Amino acid sequence: MTETPIIPTGRLPLLGSSVVRRLIGQRGAMVAGAAILIVIIGASFLAPWITPYDPLDQNLRGGLKPPSWEHLFGTDNFGRDIFTRVLYAAKIDLSISFLCVLFPWVLGTILGALAGYFGGFADTLIMRTVDTFTAFPFLIMAIGVIAVLGPGMTSIYIALTLAGWSMYARIVRAEVLVVKRAEYILAARALGFSHARIIARHVLPNIITPTIIFAMTDIVLVILSTTTLAFLGLGLPPPTPTWGTMISEGKSFIFTAWWIVTLPGLAIVLVGISLSLLGDGIADWLRNRE
Amino acid sequence: MTSPLMDIRGLTKTFSLPGGPLRRLTGRGPRKLTALNDVSLQIHEGEILSIVGESGSGKTTLGRALLRLEEPTAGEVDFRGQDLLKLSHVPLLAARRELQMIFQDPWSSLNPRLSIRQTLAEVLYVHGIATGARAQARIAELLNLVGLPPEAADRYPRHFSGGQRQRIGIARALAVAPSFLVADEPVSAVDVSVQAQIMNLLIDLRARLGLTMLIIAHDLSVVRYISDRVGVMYFGRIVEMATSDRIFSSPRHPYTQGLLRAAPRPDPSRLSTTVAIHGEPPSPLNPPKGCAFHTRCPWADARCRTETPALTELHSDHTVACHNHDQTTEFT
Amino acid sequence: MTLLLDIRGLTTVIPTRKGPLTVVDDLTFTLESGQCLGLVGESGSGKSMACRSLLGLVPVADSTTSGQALYKSNDLAKLSETALTKIRGREIAMMVQDAVSALNPVWRIGDQITEAMLAHGITRTRGEARSRAVALMRQVGIPDPENRLDDYPHQFSGGMCQRVVIAAALACNPQLIIADEPTTALDVTVQDQILKLLIALQRDLGLGLLLVTHDMGVVAQSCQRVAVMYAGQIVEIADTPDLFTAPHHPYTQGLLDCIPRLDTAEDSLRLTPINGMPPDLADLPRGCRFHPRCPIATEACREGPIPLRETAPGRLSRCLRAEDMAARTLARVSA
Repeated sequence: MTETPIIPTGRLPLLGSSVVRRLIGQRGAMVAGAAILIVIIGASFLAPWITPYDPLDQNLRGGLKPPSWEHLFGTDNFGRDIFTRVLYAAKIDLSISFLCVLFPWVLGTILGALAGYFGGFADTLIMRTVDTFTAFPFLIMAIGVIAVLGPGMTSIYIALTLAGWSMYARIVRAEVLVVKRAEYILAARALGFSHARIIARHVLPNIITPTIIFAMTDIVLVILSTTTLAFLGLGLPPPTPTWGTMISEGKSFIFTAWWIVTLPGLAIVLVGISLSLLGDGIADWLRNRE
Repeated sequence: MTSPLMDIRGLTKTFSLPGGPLRRLTGRGPRKLTALNDVSLQIHEGEILSIVGESGSGKTTLGRALLRLEEPTAGEVDFRGQDLLKLSHVPLLAARRELQMIFQDPWSSLNPRLSIRQTLAEVLYVHGIATGARAQARIAELLNLVGLPPEAADRYPRHFSGGQRQRIGIARALAVAPSFLVADEPVSAVDVSVQAQIMNLLIDLRARLGLTMLIIAHDLSVVRYISDRVGVMYFGRIVEMATSDRIFSSPRHPYTQGLLRAAPRPDPSRLSTTVAIHGEPPSPLNPPKGCAFHTRCPWADARCRTETPALTELHSDHTVACHNHDQTTEFT
Repeated sequence: MTLLLDIRGLTTVIPTRKGPLTVVDDLTFTLESGQCLGLVGESGSGKSMACRSLLGLVPVADSTTSGQALYKSNDLAKLSETALTKIRGREIAMMVQDAVSALNPVWRIGDQITEAMLAHGITRTRGEARSRAVALMRQVGIPDPENRLDDYPHQFSGGMCQRVVIAAALACNPQLIIADEPTTALDVTVQDQILKLLIALQRDLGLGLLLVTHDMGVVAQSCQRVAVMYAGQIVEIADTPDLFTAPHHPYTQGLLDCIPRLDTAEDSLRLTPINGMPPDLADLPRGCRFHPRCPIATEACREGPIPLRETAPGRLSRCLRAEDMAARTLARVSA
């Protein structure tokens, strides 16, 4: 019998996804999530054709205007069209978040696999490093790294990768320890395959599924983290539009011009829900396949 | 007498169990578990030798040690003039083309993510045996050899039954064209009706390919049909070794006799009422002094409790490790 | 000798992604007190599912069990879950396949044996329960039971764990024990001990024993009657000596032919396997489920459901040609 993964990969009932699932069924939920995401991603790429405005264009006399047909989401205190900025920010936020799941996933998988497969000193070295990194709360570490490196795109990537890789390493190591005992691994050694070949071709493909499932839930948290960092002023420097910075800039106007904060916030929520639905759906599908 | 194909001398494997800080502090050192204890035997070309034992006997460790899947603590394994245990990386890779293994559990002995074709092609590729069209031809040949249709190549392990997976495992081992095959409990995990199929296949392969085989099993009856010689292991040592006929007709070690009596006979007219061997095997962490079997042996005496018996030759090709073997001649 | 089990047409269907699957089909047999009935089959034959169906323990949600399963005068198939819990452990004890995993690793042995006693009200105080547990442990051959009561399962060997499982099964004085492959995971010498213990206890206490196994040797040595299962159905039932000397079903004959023996006079060099493989329950052959592998199949065997019928007094078979088989055996024996 195939070994069952020992990391419980339950659902992350984020942002009301379980409610949606109950309303329109599991398949429906996954499709809805995918649809919303496709629309958002599509809109972010097609932004220059969707809106006539430039996200950086200031119009100080036309500032703080509420949503209207002219400006769908209103304008901010610099007179910039918020709808345009939300769309351009979407591309930036989504691509940063995607990469900030990919990099930890790759780094964590490699180190976790090495620790689990070779055991001994490599295992001790890597896992104690994991323990050290895990000791820091996620955001604290990210903030600390950016504080040291200074704000900017690369700093964000480095910060979130360092903050996030250790969870993947743990999952992968646990899975590898189980798979390592399977007889087909022993057979591969008996056939004289190199360790590299065994890890790449025989171990990793058999442990990838739990990591994908975890990544599906991780991506939502990463989106929240990037926007949080931006909100704290540690994101990309202005005037680049990102949802977090938009919320941060708009917080002083929260009672007078609610649209500056609320509408980017809604965008974040929408992306979060759709990723959650889609992620859950993919995770369930993968789990059922096993 | 021609020299044997494989000459195993004094093979020993001791595992060190991590003890924890207290043991280190009290200076006692880690606990040791001796899985193989000074095992010596010879295997002749073309023969099928079966090693039978229960759990803890060391039989699986023996098979794996020969292929260096476990590194022995001591001993020598002479194979075609080379000591396998001393081979470094490159010559070891070459040696792996000569010695292969088939495994016990059909459910975990195949990579579930690779199709049969990919599994077999990888072996051929890594050993530089064949690629491309020649590899495909060889794959078809191998499948035919083990009695599977060529269409099987593009399917995945989950599409096959336990018996079929064992056949695939055999095909994989044969891909490198070995001359020596170790079969680690090849039929323990498949149904009875399939056991016969697999055993017959092994007999056929020996005849067609001239293979030498070491079969590891826990069931004496299963190896009766296939073995030329049988060795019985208990607690890390060989306690008896003889031709198949003699082991079954006149076993002389009390443990062998017990094993034979313990197997339930499928014959309701011959009911066995007494237990064959009482007691339990001793703990490997606390091995008994002298003969390891003395705690359960009806003939044990003072000498058995202090002195480990060596293998003594009773007839040509029948050795037994028992101080009181002259008393064990009665066996029904 | 009272009739303990009277099973008729017990059928269990489990829902799967590909539709409903009948894993136990038309199970029919009887079991009396003091009798050991062997339920023999290979993997996928449905023998484990059959046992679980009897006690309403099928591990698949939304499965349905129909038919009749009379235990004394109660139809187990129609009882509510509450009523079944009163019977489980108290009247009918079940021993699952792997002894080591049957025991909870974080509970002491003594507690596991006494749990059922206290739950079913067999004893009133814990003290009583513990001394009864000690007596049971002694009865099953565990040395030094007073001191081992408070040990944990990991401190016991496989054979000892199985003895504990037997003691727990006997704790409430059940009338019937269902033993699902009680010796499969054990070494041969320990298997021998456990089996003989089980049979001796069954005989001394006058219990009914339903022994599920794949090993014909175990059946021959311990059961008075045997039922052979294939692809979810019982294909033959007979008294043990009759079944072994003259089977009335080709599958039984095939099983007997392919088991390696230690003591046959003819030293045949090859075992005679049964060709082919057991059918996929989701894709059963028409007519007799065994006919694709059967050496004596005829056209009639491909038609319609084959009923389990009486082919001789006290013998049932699902083979249309059972009488031919009987005749051939007679010819062979008298030749």
